[in-house]
Amino acid sequence: MWRRSASFILDNRTPNDVASASRPESLALSPPLQSSAMADADANSAYYQTRAAHHGVVTSDWLAQAQAAVGRNPDDLGSVVASEAEPKPASDSGKPFSVIEEFNNWRKQPDLAEAVAAIRALASVIMSSEATTMMELEIELKKASDSLKSWDKTSISLTAGCDLFMRFVTRTTALEYEDFNSAKSRLIERAEKFGEISTKARRIIAVLSQDFIFDGCTILVHGFSRVVLEVLKTAAQSKKLFRVFCTEGRPDRTGLRLSNELAKLDVPVKLLIDSAVAYTMDEVDMVFVGADGVVESGGIINMMGTYQIALVAHSMNKPVYVAAESYKFARLYPLDQKDMAPALRPIDFGVPIPSKVEVERSARDYTPPQYLTLLFTDLGVLTPSVVSDELIQLYL
Amino acid sequence: MAEVQGIVNELATKLRKRKVEGSRETARLTAELFRTVISQQRVTSAALVEVVRDVGQQLIAANPVELAVGNIVRRVLRIIRDSDLSLEVGGLTLVPQGDDGDIVEEDDKPFMLSDAISQTILHQPSLVAQLESKPNLVRHFEGKADKTPRSWQFKHQIIEGVNDLIEDINTCHEQIADQALELIHQNEVILTLGHSRTVKKFLYAAKEKKRSFQVYVAEGAPKHLGHVLAKELAEKHLQTTVISDSSVFAIISRVNMVIVGVHAVMANGGVIAPVGMNMVALAAKKYAVPFVVVAGTHKLCPLFPNNPEVLLNDMRCPSELLSFGEFSDCMDYSIGSGAPLLNVVNPAFDYVPPELVSLFVTEIGGYHPSYIYRLISDYYSSEDLVLQQKPAS
Repeated sequence: MWRRSASFILDNRTPNDVASASRPESLALSPPLQSSAMADADANSAYYQTRAAHHGVVTSDWLAQAQAAVGRNPDDLGSVVASEAEPKPASDSGKPFSVIEEFNNWRKQPDLAEAVAAIRALASVIMSSEATTMMELEIELKKASDSLKSWDKTSISLTAGCDLFMRFVTRTTALEYEDFNSAKSRLIERAEKFGEISTKARRIIAVLSQDFIFDGCTILVHGFSRVVLEVLKTAAQSKKLFRVFCTEGRPDRTGLRLSNELAKLDVPVKLLIDSAVAYTMDEVDMVFVGADGVVESGGIINMMGTYQIALVAHSMNKPVYVAAESYKFARLYPLDQKDMAPALRPIDFGVPIPSKVEVERSARDYTPPQYLTLLFTDLGVLTPSVVSDELIQLYL
Repeated sequence: MAEVQGIVNELATKLRKRKVEGSRETARLTAELFRTVISQQRVTSAALVEVVRDVGQQLIAANPVELAVGNIVRRVLRIIRDSDLSLEVGGLTLVPQGDDGDIVEEDDKPFMLSDAISQTILHQPSLVAQLESKPNLVRHFEGKADKTPRSWQFKHQIIEGVNDLIEDINTCHEQIADQALELIHQNEVILTLGHSRTVKKFLYAAKEKKRSFQVYVAEGAPKHLGHVLAKELAEKHLQTTVISDSSVFAIISRVNMVIVGVHAVMANGGVIAPVGMNMVALAAKKYAVPFVVVAGTHKLCPLFPNNPEVLLNDMRCPSELLSFGEFSDCMDYSIGSGAPLLNVVNPAFDYVPPELVSLFVTEIGGYHPSYIYRLISDYYSSEDLVLQQKPAS
């Protein structure tokens, strides 16, 4: 009675009539679809493209594919290839100053986190604003924040950063400032201080995690997180003896990039294909991952494959440690893997795929909190249950 | 000053020679020592923090495995910071300082902080604190001249706080025992390991309230303190059975609940308990038997355990396991390669991870291991987690 219905057959009939069939299609969300929703689902996640661009492992086929996508779907929101094509101005802003442009400028720096870039962009909105009251300024900021968030719905740290700053703005106005200009300058000053937090946060996290890396340990790392790299760098510099297993990280090949960096530090590295994780898990002492976002339940959203690794580690009683800055705490509560905005990524298999074959292109997955042991954040070492507490204190 | 150092040395020696038995006794002695030390100081709050820290480091160095010492040091530091704050807020001017130490604005009206905000801003780093700039109280206080009535009030408050702490330590067993009736029901079978005074009082309280239950006591090798507990329980007319540690797995299916006392509770909800406890916890998990830990809040440690089996363990004398006389030929360092063929390891403690613990019963109530972080943020301040002043990198 409760057998799963073969709904994927029904689902597939409707989108095949609507969209062009030459590209591999993603699985449609529900039968009645509008073409704009279709375009959204097909649009590659700008966030993950920036990450790939930062890593510098953009292949030429990927580029060609992306360029073709831009050419084929002119109604895609914003720019599909962030750093290659011209950054298109925001569709709703008629002003010469565009918060999206500003954001893109900040984002291109590989060392700057998304949330900080967002906050800097919002700070520049304040600086260039002609509002004369706090209310007006708040409304402008809300509009800018909304346009940033809607420009890339898939980036959690972007949303979290915008929300954090907006929260701060509303809290500040609750305190009494007689002078509008001093309030404005205080907001700008705070936004700038926030930028410093980003680099400081990584140092704090690196220091906190040192105790957990002991001599002779084997660490499994998935994905290329700048925070985790900082942790490993600090450990290597304090002359700890350890070795690292890197997963290859298809399709971004993050493992290759990470192993490059670690080889420079003289840390023994071993590359594994993603499927070899369970095979090597018994030699591993701990798993270290970063996070794209930390959700309210205490779970994390990270590169595709993290959930798998956490499951294997949990079944073999290995601790899973997450290194994430506190501005990645987002007000999301995914109930399952599909409960988030889809973030798709082009995958290059190296050979042409027949058009009837679908490809699972999601770039990220959700790891529930019961598989995580500890989170290292700039607020200290936290167990997953603390995350919701922090969020409640801030937002409610 | 000299006699303060004298009593500090006295306690440090006692700790080093392991003359103090049990974390409760240690906690009480440490708290009383701090009461004496503080009452003899005539300094501002910032300097007081330094003095307490310094004394604390000496005591911790004497016995690093006895975590209760560190807990009490941090509790006292938190009491000092709290008194500092409450004095400032109570009708006196508060000058909020920016992050760079400059005074932002002079206010004549007192700046009232709500409880939640004062908690978060001043004691824990949090998302909220990142947005607000922290008013830098302790540094500011140092600048002011020492007005006698105010500093007397400050010290008085601290001494009161420490007295409350000592009182809590002394009465923790009674308050925990009050909760016995809710946990132990009629005709239950309870398992425990070793000899814990908290568990003993807990079981006595249930017996007095006319609950009938049986107790299985695992002897707790190699000290066999379980025998002592079994005798004491039998004197109170409780049906008791003594079993060896190895038979816990065989007996666990007949048991309704495991109630144990521990040495320390760590910040992630894991516990440091007498050796053999991990086995009991695993058995309880396998057979879905609730594993209840009774512990006073002075055992609550704000540190996270990394490699606890080694770093937080006390290796005791091997003669408790093997008598040297019989095995002296295997343990001879002078034959062969110089290293003995027979090694004897006698760890005092076990680490039980938080997944295996069902409930913590403390004097303030019963909590799940995932809630421990809250108790820690109530009792300790995050600035005190690291007591040594490491050189800034």
